[in-house]
Amino acid sequence: MPTTKVNLETTDLSNYRYDMSRCIKCKGCYWVEHTYMPGVKFSTRCPSNVWNDFDSYGAFGKMRIGTALVEGKLDWTPTLLEVVYADPLCGACDVGCKRNLDLEIGLSLEAMRVKAVKDGAGPMPAHKKIAENIAATHNVFGSAHNDRKKWLTKDIQVAEKADVLYFVGCTASYTNNEIAQATAKILNATKTPFMLMPDEWCCGNTLQSVGMLDEARELAKRNIEMVKSTGAKTVLLSCAEGYRMWKVEYPKLLNIATADLPFTVVHLTEFADSALKQGSLRPTKPVNVRLTYHDSCSISRLADPWTPWSGERGWMGTVSPRLKRRRGTQGLYGQPRNVISSIPGVEFVEMIRARENAFCCGAGRGTKEAFPTLASSSAKHRLEEVKEIGAEVLVSACPWCKNNFAQAVKEDGNHVKVMDFSELVLASLDA
Amino acid sequence: MAIVKEAYKALEDVVGAAYLSDDPVICEGYRSGPAGYEAGLGYERVMTKIPGAVVMPKTTEEVQKIVKICNRYCVPYVPYSTGFYGPRSHCHMENELLVDLKRLNDFEFDEKHWYAVVGSGVVYSQFQEECLRRGGYVVIGGGGAQASVIANLIGDGWSPLSHRIGLPHRRILGTEMVLPDGEILRMGSLAVGDDWFWGDGIGPDLRGLLRGYTGLRGCLGIVTKMAVKVLPFQPERLQPKGISPNTALALPEKRVKWINYIMPSKETQVKAMYEIGKAEIAGAVTKVPLFWRAIAKAECKEEFWDIWLKETPETIANFHIVRVLLIGFTSEEQLEYDENVLNDIMMELGGQPRPTKPSDESWIKNADSAGMWLMCGSYVSVDYVIETLKQATEHGPVYAELKKKYTPPLMPDHGDPGWFQSFELGYQGYSEFLIYWDQDEDTTGVDHFYLETSKMNINHRFYTSLIGPHQPMYLTGPKYGPNYHEWMLKIKNEFDPLWTCHPPVPFAHDEFVERAPWMHELKTWETPKEFPYPQWVKERLAAEAATFRAGLKSEAKVKK
Amino acid sequence: MSKDELAKIVGKENVSDAEAVLLQYSKDHSLVAAGRPDVVVWPTSSEQVSEILKWSNKNNVPVIPVSSGEHFNGGAIPRQGGMIMDLSKMNKILDIDQDIKQARFEAGVTWGQLTGELAKKGLRVIMPLLPHANRSVLTDFLEREVPTNTVYDYGEPMQAFEVVWPTGDVFRLGSASVDGYPDSMSRGGNPSGPGIDFYRLVQGAQGTMGVVTWTNLKILFQTKKDKVFFAAVDDLAYVQEFLYRLLPRRVGQEVVLLNRTDLAAMIAEQWPADFEKLRAKLPPWTLVIVISGLTRRPEEKVAYEVNCLKEIVKNEFRRLVVDEALPGFPGLGGKMLSLLRNPWPADVPYWKNRWQGASQSLFFIARPENSSRFLEIVETIAPKHGYPVADIGSYIQPIEHNRACQIEFTFFYDGKDAANKARIAALYRDAAKALMNEGALFTRPYGELAPMVYERAAGYVMGLKRVKKIFDPNNIMNPGNLCF
Repeated sequence: MPTTKVNLETTDLSNYRYDMSRCIKCKGCYWVEHTYMPGVKFSTRCPSNVWNDFDSYGAFGKMRIGTALVEGKLDWTPTLLEVVYADPLCGACDVGCKRNLDLEIGLSLEAMRVKAVKDGAGPMPAHKKIAENIAATHNVFGSAHNDRKKWLTKDIQVAEKADVLYFVGCTASYTNNEIAQATAKILNATKTPFMLMPDEWCCGNTLQSVGMLDEARELAKRNIEMVKSTGAKTVLLSCAEGYRMWKVEYPKLLNIATADLPFTVVHLTEFADSALKQGSLRPTKPVNVRLTYHDSCSISRLADPWTPWSGERGWMGTVSPRLKRRRGTQGLYGQPRNVISSIPGVEFVEMIRARENAFCCGAGRGTKEAFPTLASSSAKHRLEEVKEIGAEVLVSACPWCKNNFAQAVKEDGNHVKVMDFSELVLASLDA
Repeated sequence: MAIVKEAYKALEDVVGAAYLSDDPVICEGYRSGPAGYEAGLGYERVMTKIPGAVVMPKTTEEVQKIVKICNRYCVPYVPYSTGFYGPRSHCHMENELLVDLKRLNDFEFDEKHWYAVVGSGVVYSQFQEECLRRGGYVVIGGGGAQASVIANLIGDGWSPLSHRIGLPHRRILGTEMVLPDGEILRMGSLAVGDDWFWGDGIGPDLRGLLRGYTGLRGCLGIVTKMAVKVLPFQPERLQPKGISPNTALALPEKRVKWINYIMPSKETQVKAMYEIGKAEIAGAVTKVPLFWRAIAKAECKEEFWDIWLKETPETIANFHIVRVLLIGFTSEEQLEYDENVLNDIMMELGGQPRPTKPSDESWIKNADSAGMWLMCGSYVSVDYVIETLKQATEHGPVYAELKKKYTPPLMPDHGDPGWFQSFELGYQGYSEFLIYWDQDEDTTGVDHFYLETSKMNINHRFYTSLIGPHQPMYLTGPKYGPNYHEWMLKIKNEFDPLWTCHPPVPFAHDEFVERAPWMHELKTWETPKEFPYPQWVKERLAAEAATFRAGLKSEAKVKK
Repeated sequence: MSKDELAKIVGKENVSDAEAVLLQYSKDHSLVAAGRPDVVVWPTSSEQVSEILKWSNKNNVPVIPVSSGEHFNGGAIPRQGGMIMDLSKMNKILDIDQDIKQARFEAGVTWGQLTGELAKKGLRVIMPLLPHANRSVLTDFLEREVPTNTVYDYGEPMQAFEVVWPTGDVFRLGSASVDGYPDSMSRGGNPSGPGIDFYRLVQGAQGTMGVVTWTNLKILFQTKKDKVFFAAVDDLAYVQEFLYRLLPRRVGQEVVLLNRTDLAAMIAEQWPADFEKLRAKLPPWTLVIVISGLTRRPEEKVAYEVNCLKEIVKNEFRRLVVDEALPGFPGLGGKMLSLLRNPWPADVPYWKNRWQGASQSLFFIARPENSSRFLEIVETIAPKHGYPVADIGSYIQPIEHNRACQIEFTFFYDGKDAANKARIAALYRDAAKALMNEGALFTRPYGELAPMVYERAAGYVMGLKRVKKIFDPNNIMNPGNLCF
């Protein structure tokens, strides 16, 4: 049996021909992992396939569609674009499939988008607008670049030079200042000097997510160079999507390993967990609420570090050299929970679908902009779960999650308060 | 040509535009292959098509309307719950309607009377958790926790837990289905009222039309709702733990316990099963094929082969494990009793207990079938038959012997004789023979092996699961019953005179043999000059066969 | 009707149209109106059965298969004349296999015969309550008689069997369908398939779907130790709650609930004196639970079940006194065990008929929690027909962990009195109707129950008729029965 050269680059969909053509339609990508299955309610973790019931909207349908695509059997149509893009790429399918098999579902889905862009069919018009905004003003909103640091208040101390660089991100900079402020104050409170990017530009999450890899790569190079120039040893993010970009996608775009980055990428949740253990973070103010925590995809299922790989596939589909697959096992599951549980007064109750089984809010990676109903219905669906467990407060560690949930709460007239992790931690610290 | 325009419009009026589509991209998502159960084989490539349209009803009434419309306009249709069973659950004709039943997901539990009512869209994974939460449990069929409860109960439905729980046929209670001509049939207590609790028919039992041994593969109507027996379990919670891929249920050891025993020989392994059955203990009793352990240990496909290729026919032949699940249904004291009896038996037979993890990685909540595709990418079971322990323990080696001729392309398995276990407290025995291959290789040998097993079973006088629609009806028919196929045909013609329900099943494998040139050399049995279809089916099949032949010719030209 | 043609098939000695013989088959213990056959044949092989049926189809002769001489439900009384096909001469026990715990035997094998043979080898079979020793075991299981044993998860003791279709085709189903069976690797342990679940179509068919000639049946080992527990019950609802709680814990082998009239009729020895004394002394209801130790460590098995039983009673059902004796009835345990593990002897009038000579039972499947309500209905209707409430026999049989139960009401009467008979018939009819209206499920509709039930099951009837058309195109099998 002849071997095929194969690697993990999403620039070539045929790298995933084997993976896509070996999907067995077991729907491990759709269901909550069976061992954790909670029953007939809250039994799925695929927002796309909950939004649209046709098989084609689940990964198992998309693998068949992707196979047809790579074989040149399908033309780009609005339906095909919708199937490919109405999807927050939350990683549930990838992790679900890898419970039993060695197939790269997540990367296949990314590669389909890259092909869409290459073929001139994608991305969606809303994504193109975001790309234009980034090109023009270096942020997803098209807001004035000069306003990017306006979130800084006088009581926040920013160092000229420090080991830690806080990469704020577009949302915290423009629409969710409270997250940037809370994060900065936590850093101050733990006596962790931090600096900011001399000139912060968008991390490129949307670009990478929708398949505009060339543009994303340019941003990656530029941002990494800038961090290098500051001498920072650690890049800290309060945004889950940004964290994923820096930790996983930048190395992927540059065909290097996460370990090869000249700095460590850290999310606020892991920083807070370390600080708690070291004693520099001291949550002493009671926060008397019954709350639950939503595992944002980009710091959980999607957060395993990246290692490039290339090799051959041969007999019985085995690959060589050995490839250790990313299964989401190294996500930040425990860290946020440790911190939340340490806050006095908090009654912490887990979501029915938690950790790797979490149901994505549906907003991330360009989804909310292009498919607002998918984002809205996913958030509302998740809020049903919050109601079911009787939580008053929903905490997440990503501004995209927060905003999407907050909007859904408002639309439904819900009484759930939506908070970011940074806000919760800040509330537990003495002034 | 798409689905007849008038039919499409009428279907849209039934379900609404959001739940009907003939978009080629949507339909492509419903392709059977290239991979899956029994996929990557000739049958799948030759006999399956993507649907001409997909419809997603929500209620039995909607299903009925759909079926009537299909009959009106001669639109072939196939019922589909998850599609996991592979090609036989997918469209077999061009411009066929796929009826996706996933929205029929009603669920009602009667705890006091130990049953639940489910729609076709409910899967075992959900169902089992609802049962466990209420102190009950069911068998998750070997197809896996992802299988539709109804679809599995009418075509499959067993696992090592069947040692106690038994034949799935006995677990079907009140049932509602839409017959192929659009009439609704309600069975059991549902026949006379609104209650689902009882399954026996009023007089003769029409549940006989539901499944046969391994199912009618959807050619005799659509089951939309069914009450399913739940069995009492024990009250302690089985806590899920771990992170994928290493998830498991932590077992409350005083109430639920797996124990593995190494037996000195196959004879003692078999005798242990008989004795356990006679003693009427345990919740599951099964042999464990060596390569399952390799799958469980391996973190990836490559590691599996590292482990597996170190084995030899001798290590396989000398590996005899009996894996027993003890369940303290009554009390902790009862589990102790079971364990004492089990140890008595093992002492007599020389079985040695091995350290066994206090957890369940499979069977209780998962029935971890997806792992079967890890090794080679393709898999099918060529038998999964319930008979007695006498047949079950002798069946596998006969398969293993035949398989040698077809290895490769079948996976090198050192002559592994498959799996067997006790069933219904030893009243029955179960044997399964699984095969694996890489579908990128020439799979003619696999197609041949599949059919040759049917002849082998006939010659050796084994009962087999691959009967009915699974193998050529004109091959197996005369040899079982005899002539069960004639009765099936009469039933089919009575209830589906137009043959709109999943044509050409139950003759689909016959058609495959006729159509695929590489199968012709195997045809050693008689068939009628013309298959007994209505005219429109004959014409459509003839046209599709011609298209297929033309396709083969042009493939051959290209290769030249 | 050509006797000679039939004689050519079965032999002269196995055909009869003698008046006295025909009369025997024209009625039975039930209230179903008499109907005379025209001839009786006794085939001795499946091939003969096949030939007879082919002949019957050709000659438009109805065929009513019977397997024994004792019938209680009227299912084998000809309604359109025709032929009685008496299978009692096909009475061979073909195989007893202890390893796979299976016996294979012909339709004419009786309870007395089978239990006797099994007992010799230390084996037994689960049984309904007190089957007549001369009844066909095969027929009783085919007709879905409810066993007294509640503990097995899988129910249904019948495995693969042979049927001769009404067309005369001999057909083996399930895993006995293998060519050459029983000279095969398949041992007939699976009743299902091939292709269709033929076995289900024949179950409960009262002879309308074909003639079953032999069957495989699950057998068990005899128990090594038995303890019989009793509870005196005056609150039916309370004891049902107890059974809902206890039986899912898999405690008990045989479990039965009998009212004083039924129990007295079973255990009385001197008639009529004992019977009336017992009726007066017995509690309104008696719950009987047999706890048994099996082949290994029998004492330990009994111990853990008894401990569970006692825990539940102590903690949750204090009003119930469950003990190894029924107060006032020493030795009843041994007697009950013997009754539950043996058929009713053939040389003694059947227990239901000992009191007044005749009886009619009305039985159906129900949710156990509804037992009181159904009892109330019957107790309201009976006096309207002049039938004393105290004379109603009642038997509740829990089924499979008490997920359901069979309830049986028996009306006892002097069969020689025509007016009496008519009164009972009217009572039976009224009670059946009222029970049906309240959700009682008559899955085995004998006699006039059939039109009553089938009237409410139009869709099901349509399905049945379509299936019947296939297997019995000339409608020769027991026509006029069920909905055919």
